[in-house]
Amino acid sequence: MSLVSLCLAKQTDYLNIRETVEKSLDLINFNFKNDVDKILIKPNLNYYWDYSTGYTTDPNFVGILIDVIRERITSDPYIYIIESDASAMKCKYAFKILGYEKLSIEKNVTLVNLSEQKTEKKIVEVLGKKLTYFIPNIIQNSDVLINVPKIKYMKDVKLTCALKNIFGCNSYQKKYVYHKNLNKAIIGINKLIKTDLVIVDGIIVRGVNTKKLGLVMASEDPVAVDSVAANILDLNPKSVECLDFSLKEKLGNTSYITKGETLETVKRMFPKKEINNKIYEFLISNYMKVLR
Amino acid sequence: MGSVHLSNCIKMKNVEVIAVADKSKRALIYAKNIGIKNIYTNYEEIIKDKNIDALIISLPNFLHKDCAIAAAEAGKHIFIEKPLARNILEGEEICTSIEHSDVKGMVGYPLRFDKRYIDLKADIENGIFGAVITASTSNISSGPFSSRGQLGRPVPVPSWWFDKELLGGGALLDLGVHSVNLFRYYFGDVIETHSQLGYRFNMDLEDHAVCIMKFKSGTLATIKVGWFSSDIIRSLEINGTIKNISFIQSSPSKLKIISSDIKKKLGLTNEYNSFYHEINYFIDCLNLGIQPIPSVDEGLMDLKIISEAYNNQLGKNSNALIRD
Repeated sequence: MSLVSLCLAKQTDYLNIRETVEKSLDLINFNFKNDVDKILIKPNLNYYWDYSTGYTTDPNFVGILIDVIRERITSDPYIYIIESDASAMKCKYAFKILGYEKLSIEKNVTLVNLSEQKTEKKIVEVLGKKLTYFIPNIIQNSDVLINVPKIKYMKDVKLTCALKNIFGCNSYQKKYVYHKNLNKAIIGINKLIKTDLVIVDGIIVRGVNTKKLGLVMASEDPVAVDSVAANILDLNPKSVECLDFSLKEKLGNTSYITKGETLETVKRMFPKKEINNKIYEFLISNYMKVLR
Repeated sequence: MGSVHLSNCIKMKNVEVIAVADKSKRALIYAKNIGIKNIYTNYEEIIKDKNIDALIISLPNFLHKDCAIAAAEAGKHIFIEKPLARNILEGEEICTSIEHSDVKGMVGYPLRFDKRYIDLKADIENGIFGAVITASTSNISSGPFSSRGQLGRPVPVPSWWFDKELLGGGALLDLGVHSVNLFRYYFGDVIETHSQLGYRFNMDLEDHAVCIMKFKSGTLATIKVGWFSSDIIRSLEINGTIKNISFIQSSPSKLKIISSDIKKKLGLTNEYNSFYHEINYFIDCLNLGIQPIPSVDEGLMDLKIISEAYNNQLGKNSNALIRD
């Protein structure tokens, strides 16, 4: 069983969120290694959505995380914020538009477009399917990788959180080529890249609508985080193919122990899809398939 | 917009679409599929073609000037999408070239061909509102980040949308120019313009703005524009000494999008009615040998107003993006 902390900030100001981030780390007994030199932080940048929509990781949240890291690690490591180009998003614009360029100046950290990095081609097999990735050397040479995802519904894979966010570590820009086997592609890259810490930015969440929730989740196990996230979204974890595959590939635990707030409390507060919305979405997605 | 104009033109009986030029393969495939014989990747090929009488320019702002001047010098009439150009200087060059070449030029302002807005002009002139003291418009959307506000997968944003040199201005130029033109149509000459610009997305271009205009008629008008929202709102409010009016056009629901999609596929509706009417009117003017309006001179005046708004930023020294 893996530990997952669930913490709710009383207010969404700097001090309250910082206190919540620290509490979430303490509840899972997470300690940063002290002799680290390179730390990578992977936020979830999706298209050019403002963080206030709940689609992308809030740069202020990442800023708080950087402050916590610097306070807890004595070796003054280099900190890099990483993201890669996607089919419809270019990092050079996303970093600027979404406030990460400003953050990098304020916190003296480096922004890295993984699509411009030297990579190594890697082939991995996921449940009989061979998949090719281009893994940036900077990831392979890092000491700590921190995954800072969002919790969201996603049409194709139902849930996007910790496992899906690592998909953005593949430097290959035309990510649509993986969409046919997206669940397997997500598992494949997680087989190649191990995260040391997942800390979920649930300050603003996107369920059926957007809500300021003040949630911070932390765990060392991305599979456990996604299992909790599925539960919060009221999805049966067994129906989330990605979680099923992750279990088969022994990437982590779908069984977990939560600390802090109860899962029921968070679940109640999360803006979930109601049954009529689910029917509505089903009708629309099928209509779109027929039409396009 | 090019594909909207193209699909409208092929429905018109008095128009033959001879050629289409576009850098986008997808756009050219679309043109080919609907039966356009001459497909080019460069607009210069169209300008060389002597069988072509008129050109619809629906290009990025930085290409307006060169394309319009080349077309005018080749003796082709021009319909050009708003804004006329990136700045006053380029706008003046386009106007001079059209004048010297003795061709007709028109700027695309679809609100001028929307019945609701046309009727309002008559109501204002007939004194239905009394004296119009204040007026306002809002035009808030996702702007160039269209996938923020649409059903379906995100599509890439062309890089020129991020470049202030290539665009000439941000949301105020892109969206505000519609309202500037509409308000000038309603209230006449502008005597003073100010603005306040906002940069939520840290770009070199403003992604939202408020512009205040004072008219010779005494009307005070505000224009609110933004590229920041996944929701859409377009509204107009007129406040007179006798009567007020407001209309709001907001994001259609997904069901409404689908039903209009089905209607469009069945040929029961034309979503882009005002775009159809503006091109139809342009063609009629060419056939009758009369000057279409809004003319390029109107487009130039709108650019001058926007330029003044950039130069007169409230609480800030001049930081003009459009330069004279």
